[in-house]
Amino acid sequence: MPLAYSVPTDLSPATVVNATSLLRIVALALISGAAIASRLFAVVNFESIIHEFDPWFNYRATRVLASEGFYEFWNWFDPTAWYPLGRVVGGTIYPGLMATSGVIYNILHALNLPVDIRNICVLLAPGFSALTAWSTYMFTKEMKNESAGLLAAAFIGIVPGYISRSVAGSYDNEAIAIFLLMFTFFLWIKALKTGSALFGTLAALFYFYMVAAWGGYAFITNMIPLHAFALILMGRFSSRLYVAYSSWYAIGTLASMQVPFVGFQPVRTSEHMAALGVFGLLQIIAFSELVRAHVSSKQFQSLLYASVIGMGILGALGIVGLTYKGWIAPWTGRFYSLWDTGYAKKYIPIIASVSEHQPTAWPSFFMDLQLLIFLFPAGVVLCFRELRDEHVFVIIYAVVASYFAGVMVRLMLTLTPCVCVCAAVAFSSVLDTYIDPVEPEAVEEDAQTAGDGAVSASSTAVSTSSGSTTTTKKGKKAAPAAHAGPLDGLVSTVSAAVSSKKGEKARGIFGGDTRLAVILNALGMLLFFVLHCTYVTSSAYSSPSVVLASTNPDGSQHIIDDFREAYYWLRQNTPETAVVMSWWDYGYQIAGMADRPTLVDNNTWNNTHIATVGKAMSSSEEVAYPILRKHDVDYVLVIFGGLLGYSGDDINKFLWMVRIAQGVWPDEIQEPNYFTAKGEYRVDDEASATMKNSLMYKMSYYRFAELFGGNQAVDRVRGQQMPRIGPTLDYLDEAFTSENWIVRIYQVKKDDLLGRDLRTANAFEQGKKRKRSKPVARRKAIV
Amino acid sequence: MVSPWRFLPFLGFAAAALAKSSTGESVLIVLDPDLYIENFSRFFDGLEARGYDLTYRRPKDVYPPVIEHDHPKYAHVIFFAPEVKTYSQDITPQSLVTLLSKNTNLLIAVGTKATPLTSLAAEFSLILPPPGTPLVSHFPERDTPATVVPVNVSNPVVSEDLPPVWFSGVPFAFGNNPHIVPILNAPPQSFAADSDSDSGADALVDAANKGGEGLWAGSSLGLVAGFQTLGGGRATWVGGVELFSDEYAQKPAPNGGKSGNEQFASDVAAWTFQETGVLRVDDTTHHRVNETAPRDKYTINEHVTYTMHVSKYNPTSAVWEPYSGIDDMQLEFTMLDPHIRTALKPTPEKPGEYSLTFRIPDRHGVFKFNVDYKRRGWTYLQSTTVVPVVPPRHDEYPRFLSPAWPYYAGAISTSAAFLAFCALWLAGEEPKKAKSTKFD
Repeated sequence: MPLAYSVPTDLSPATVVNATSLLRIVALALISGAAIASRLFAVVNFESIIHEFDPWFNYRATRVLASEGFYEFWNWFDPTAWYPLGRVVGGTIYPGLMATSGVIYNILHALNLPVDIRNICVLLAPGFSALTAWSTYMFTKEMKNESAGLLAAAFIGIVPGYISRSVAGSYDNEAIAIFLLMFTFFLWIKALKTGSALFGTLAALFYFYMVAAWGGYAFITNMIPLHAFALILMGRFSSRLYVAYSSWYAIGTLASMQVPFVGFQPVRTSEHMAALGVFGLLQIIAFSELVRAHVSSKQFQSLLYASVIGMGILGALGIVGLTYKGWIAPWTGRFYSLWDTGYAKKYIPIIASVSEHQPTAWPSFFMDLQLLIFLFPAGVVLCFRELRDEHVFVIIYAVVASYFAGVMVRLMLTLTPCVCVCAAVAFSSVLDTYIDPVEPEAVEEDAQTAGDGAVSASSTAVSTSSGSTTTTKKGKKAAPAAHAGPLDGLVSTVSAAVSSKKGEKARGIFGGDTRLAVILNALGMLLFFVLHCTYVTSSAYSSPSVVLASTNPDGSQHIIDDFREAYYWLRQNTPETAVVMSWWDYGYQIAGMADRPTLVDNNTWNNTHIATVGKAMSSSEEVAYPILRKHDVDYVLVIFGGLLGYSGDDINKFLWMVRIAQGVWPDEIQEPNYFTAKGEYRVDDEASATMKNSLMYKMSYYRFAELFGGNQAVDRVRGQQMPRIGPTLDYLDEAFTSENWIVRIYQVKKDDLLGRDLRTANAFEQGKKRKRSKPVARRKAIV
Repeated sequence: MVSPWRFLPFLGFAAAALAKSSTGESVLIVLDPDLYIENFSRFFDGLEARGYDLTYRRPKDVYPPVIEHDHPKYAHVIFFAPEVKTYSQDITPQSLVTLLSKNTNLLIAVGTKATPLTSLAAEFSLILPPPGTPLVSHFPERDTPATVVPVNVSNPVVSEDLPPVWFSGVPFAFGNNPHIVPILNAPPQSFAADSDSDSGADALVDAANKGGEGLWAGSSLGLVAGFQTLGGGRATWVGGVELFSDEYAQKPAPNGGKSGNEQFASDVAAWTFQETGVLRVDDTTHHRVNETAPRDKYTINEHVTYTMHVSKYNPTSAVWEPYSGIDDMQLEFTMLDPHIRTALKPTPEKPGEYSLTFRIPDRHGVFKFNVDYKRRGWTYLQSTTVVPVVPPRHDEYPRFLSPAWPYYAGAISTSAAFLAFCALWLAGEEPKKAKSTKFD
């Protein structure tokens, strides 16, 4: 067999095996190192700090877990959240993340390594990303081979789509959930391939871990049944499937019900019914297979089929009936919003208002996945080439996750592992093809073909070294040549068109130059991928958002630390029981950094309570004041970016507050009132009266014009010129404004000493003359 | 400039005895230059005899200031300056409200002229008639001018069974402010009018026909009105300064006998200076039934005892004494809205203690024990204790419920059947064929 380049021949097979396994281990170790290191930009550029919003709650919960133990954490009732409703934290969270950190913390302390719990929390996500890389390697190995696995591991290790949720400090459920997702899928595939109840049980255990860690477990709950169902429809029912699915479902469901937040949901909600339905279907099919094996009569068999189908339909009807009777909860709003992207905006503005629930913009696919997004379809097509059971899984995963990633930005995260796997399969196929030194045998004939040009050469199917690929019944038909290379079928039609006249002839890659060209090209793509990932990670995904950074004219970094300044002000200057009202985005941060009770926070479970805050913010002072007093609010915190040009401020979120409040009080709050007559959203002179009287507007622009010392005040976010005379406040006092005016805190005045309304009291304080009044009219003259 | 007035307090020094007010004994009297101390000697001597340190000052004097560095210098301030239009800088309507907020008590006499103080009255929801319209009453028939009116007294704030009180000055109508404590109301036949002639009578008739709008007449007018502020400070508005004068104190009542002015003035001052009608909450505690120490949180449906101790100030002995005389106090257990509102009754046998045992509602959240007792003439009693109410711990739920027996039976029978199956499977013979390969 001719070779394109010489390979050493004097190596024993054992040496080769040992060397490759050593190389694999080294490669995996390096990939883990790269995955961890690239997530440390946030720590290097800023500091070891918890990022964003939700992580602050997780961090706070973890501190409780670490300091007071698991049972106290389990029974933790947080009276400072959702004041005065309080939050039963133990029953309303997925404790997996905190439990993981707690275990690590306790282990380290048992080893006399006094590591601060904060550092564990900060570095948990990078640590688990290394595990994710390993589990992706295992998963991809099941799809193709070890080299594809290594590529997939490298991809997932540094791909921005995953880094966006797992940089150091991004201490969120997703930090460990993606590892659990991939490892559960790997175990499921393993169980399915081997038909082993052991792997099925392991899959169930990791499924339990996943349930305990992330609400996205529903993705697994529906992916695995979908896969099983597709296999049944494809006529691939087997005892392996039966054993794997039954052991996974039975143990996994029972285990998942042990998580308090999940409870009886697996048998009571529509989201989980698919898994139950497939479980039932499998039992019916298994039973019919059993009966069929023992009964020979043809008629009886058809009768059996009819009855099986009947039972299936009956079961489905039963589930529908139970849903109608209310025994099974119908789909939740969050679920509907996945199918109808306009649904949330219409019916549940609270969901639509979250930025990560917005539909994904096209550029973000490229930004998050770069070249992988182009390789992704190729990988999926390659899966069709073989179409073993596990390939069906990847195909379903790819289709479902692509759809979801298009609907919601945050679901890009679930797509990313699949993209990495598919892209790795495609990429390793290319590399396998072109690195393989074996030349086609018919050299003389191919001399001419080579002259036809590089196009025909490179697009011609090749024989590959992946002869080890196990051929399945479906895989056979597409392989005309002896070697069933993965690219064969893909391009055989193309090459058939090119070389149809020449008939049967050897196809492959000739010479070192063609190989070199393609491989160098591929390596170049990889290099650019790494550069892109590093750039995106360092510039876009490593900002803690608690601390902002800007660049000075001389290029040095300028840190804007208004948030912490304001939160520490609250911590140092207000009584511990002072209730702080803010829009729900900042609830977790106030609880975590200022340690003060908040009205609403990022755990948006009570729409009415959020709407109450929205109403207070969007009403006039007179209307808002009783609401504030009823909820014992002492301080109101608003985020204002108008001075600095920080666009994520409350005025820009204001319409969501209005919408959410309108959903509950449609008679009192109406969105159109906040627009100008022309239908514009303005904050300058032309702003509508309702807008100008709203508490949010007043708090944002209170004394803003004074800052400009008589010059025209300009709001840098909206780019609008503010009126010279700003709003006045009667019911609130300005308590604190941070350096760059990003955070403004107002104190709610107490009831007036003399029982007047505060507007009158304020007018009196300012020395305004009161109009003389007369005794009020009585119904009849006084006798 | 040293005013001779400042040496006056030393005159009364010898008389200083026990301080009778609950807030302090220093009194500043801002006296109109046209009024003389001697004319009010009975009232002032009475105050000194009760242990107050009196300091006198003219309205335009700079010294002594009523408030310095935001710190009130006197516990009580009396304004006997019904006609003074300009004060020195430290006395403004705003500074007087500041004084009240710092628990300084004010006794303010106004007259028929418009002064800064009459404009301040509007802030207390007292509606004064136009300047120059004093109270006029032609009944009962008497030899005094129509503007000097005997008024019958009946009010819990002052002593019982007082003879009628002589009054001359302006009445005021009350706005709808709940903090006003009417002490002396005008006689039913009286009205506010230009004093010299009864030319205002037509206007009164007009106003009466309009349903009383703009009508200062009748028994709902106030002549002396107390004001209990939310912070505890008290202010009393008096329509005419003569009420405190020696002249009226000595003037015989229309139906013979001594007039009630001296005792009335003394009682008004006692109420204003927080001698009488002063209550306070000593402490509040809460605990589970059968326990004594308070918990930092309670579980739903638990039985909890709430206890409150109330004291009343006794001006004669100048001590706080336990007080069990309140029988209409209520306790609210509130989260947003009161979930429980019930009477908080005095505990028999234990003076000053008010106690209640109740079951916490089946609702978790941050609750407040709320007592808000506001009665006219008494200091307001307000107490708020925040306590979280939590759901039961994971091991506090009932176990082995009878409705769950079918599930226990199901679980046990399945386990037993599985064990039996395994035993039979392992012990059984090797099947001939096809049994283990169900559907391969």
